[in-house]
Amino acid sequence: MQLADELPYALIATDKTPRLLAELQALTLWHQQQCPAYQQLVTAQWPDFAVNAAGNHHSVDHLAQLPYLAVRLFKQLELRSVATEAVFKTLYSSGTTGTPSRIFLDRDSAAVQSKILVKIMQHWLGKARLPMLILDHPGVVSDRSSFSARGAGIQGLSFMGRNHCYALNADMSLNWPALEQFVETYGDGPVLLFGFTFMVWQHLLQALKQSGRRIHLPEGILLHSGGWKKLEDQAVSNQQFKQTVAELTGVSRVHNFYGMVEQIGAIFVECSSGHLHCPVYADVLVRRPGSWQLADIGETGVLQLLSTLPRSYPGHSLLTEDRAQLLGEDNCSCGLAGKYFRILGRLPQAEARGCSDTFAPAIQRKAMPELQSGVQAETQTGGAL
Amino acid sequence: MSFTVLNPATETAVLRIPFAPEDFAYCQALSEALLKDPQSRDYPDLIALGFWLRQANLKPLLAQYQQTDFFRHPLGLVFHSAPANVDSLFVYSGILSLLCGNQNVIRLSSRSGGSTAILIDKLRYLASEFPAQNARFQLIQCSYDSPQLTALIAEVDSRVLWGSDQAIQAQRQLVMPAHARELSFGHKFSLCLLDAEALLKADETQFQQLLQLFYRDQLTFSQQGCSSAKAVLWLGDTAQVQQAQLRFWPAFTGLVAQKQPLNASEQYQALANAQQLIMSSETQLTLTQQQTISRIKVTQLEPIFTQQHQGCGLFLELPLTDLQLLNPMLTQAHQTLTVWGVDAMQLKNWLSSVHTGLDRVMPVGQALSFSPDWDGVNLIEQFSRKVVCLL
Repeated sequence: MQLADELPYALIATDKTPRLLAELQALTLWHQQQCPAYQQLVTAQWPDFAVNAAGNHHSVDHLAQLPYLAVRLFKQLELRSVATEAVFKTLYSSGTTGTPSRIFLDRDSAAVQSKILVKIMQHWLGKARLPMLILDHPGVVSDRSSFSARGAGIQGLSFMGRNHCYALNADMSLNWPALEQFVETYGDGPVLLFGFTFMVWQHLLQALKQSGRRIHLPEGILLHSGGWKKLEDQAVSNQQFKQTVAELTGVSRVHNFYGMVEQIGAIFVECSSGHLHCPVYADVLVRRPGSWQLADIGETGVLQLLSTLPRSYPGHSLLTEDRAQLLGEDNCSCGLAGKYFRILGRLPQAEARGCSDTFAPAIQRKAMPELQSGVQAETQTGGAL
Repeated sequence: MSFTVLNPATETAVLRIPFAPEDFAYCQALSEALLKDPQSRDYPDLIALGFWLRQANLKPLLAQYQQTDFFRHPLGLVFHSAPANVDSLFVYSGILSLLCGNQNVIRLSSRSGGSTAILIDKLRYLASEFPAQNARFQLIQCSYDSPQLTALIAEVDSRVLWGSDQAIQAQRQLVMPAHARELSFGHKFSLCLLDAEALLKADETQFQQLLQLFYRDQLTFSQQGCSSAKAVLWLGDTAQVQQAQLRFWPAFTGLVAQKQPLNASEQYQALANAQQLIMSSETQLTLTQQQTISRIKVTQLEPIFTQQHQGCGLFLELPLTDLQLLNPMLTQAHQTLTVWGVDAMQLKNWLSSVHTGLDRVMPVGQALSFSPDWDGVNLIEQFSRKVVCLL
């Protein structure tokens, strides 16, 4: 049985790790065989993994020994482990540099990502599809020409709900008639709310506060993602965020989640104790910058993400640009099995200090209209599903 | 963004004869202002600039240009465009042009960093004492599409463009007068040549000195200065090169571990950049990581390396049994070659055969020193007019 067939938080380390290691090793071999650039990297940096003529390769004892890829390579290179004709969907993200990552999915990969996302979400939301309030404007999804990570995230999660209602207008103001009608129709029962963290704070919570209005969704569950940077700039803590949500909307169940377009599906959801949790399909390691050795529990380092899902592109083991701390494994006070961790924001951009200038002409920036909304820059750390 | 003058002129700019004493005095005053400010200590580029600006440095440096059998006159109005984040580079070309008697307008990037702020502060402070020099050394900030910039460029006698190749091409959209000169200093890539046999023979003192000089060249600006080496060329036979590497790198990475010049973001950049180059290369490369230094063994200088290498503690290593093997790999982008342990005659013989690439060859330790000869052109000659009188 594959890990993908398990329940999301069912396995403790002794059951999970050997199976995870076996699946990730098999994926490493697969990508070595299918993606020449990946094979070139593995041979250069992890020569023990060189595939021999029989297609066998070195086996390792620890997750830490697996090759990993710097996540920004998806912005710089076209990395696929399937033929061009098999690409069913291309996902884009954007970082602060404005160059989007390109993630190539075939039908199987897209299907397994959806399946795993549903499994994880059902753990938190239950099996029934709930009426869904999307804390964004409909243009984010409908404009196919500039399909952004935000749009992909909303679309990815929207099939967890039904009777979708967009809470915002295109100018980011609250769509009061729509919102009031949603609350009136479904407010007494369980509902799902979803939005990007900063959008929720700025365009729902601040808008409610300023207009002196409240909504009441006592059985609502709010999922949000997209990174804390902008809220940290405003000195808003997770606790304060949750309190404000409860105060202005009556929603008491709030779950942040972390994930990125480069490793979609197996996302990391915040538990009732406020920690991001690994599902069985994925795992995290924290490394010390420079030596890239594993950091101790509680020590800040750079986050590596492992996922058993990516098969159409070599994204099963990625070194992110996020700083993080591993907090523990199988011993979170919430009772769920698996590793749990904390994100501490991104590594700052390495400052160009020489003549190797980083000029980008205005024309390039205009190519991605979403970049100018000011929200897009956040989606790298956890935007799309 | 609007058009902002950072140190407004209080009088009309008037061209001067080259190398006027008042202009040297202005440089000296700027030098003193920089060197005595404790804030400068955080910026090695400002300290270096402060020393370079001293009269005691500039006068001997420029002496050879003062005795001529022709008249030297200023060009007129010279526009300098500074690259983003190269905080003090603009001062070098701007000051040389000032000393040639010109009126200068220097466009700073809006992304300029901390040391630029200190420089602006000092130049403002000097404005009242040196109003004539201040009027001829105007710093501005503006966008490329500013109408005032377009009008300014339409009037210049010369423009000097520093920065990425893209930035230079973007600025070339603005039309300058037919007679005006242009100097462009675009993307460059530098190399360091070490002789394996000499390195193996070096005594401990010589070896430690080499490590310090190599460190200064490469890591003062996280290997991002255009004259800091991104590739190390090892001259010698295969066995010697391997042994020399075994002596050099553990000692060098030890020095790096002790001084810790690279922050977490730069260390990440080095790793990600190494992976990018390996995955983009036409050939199978190998990566060695020691402390925070990454090394990639290469057999060619591929164009992708020259374009995409981002420094931060990443070195390409190219073994060479003969210097001639390098010639076909060199392009116009290859700028400084710092050298250690190679016989000067042998080196000069070889250099006479290098028709493409390499603008300057310096001893290891002097990669970052600025000279009026830059990227193959002499700035003093370029910033002045040679007027011949045969009467």
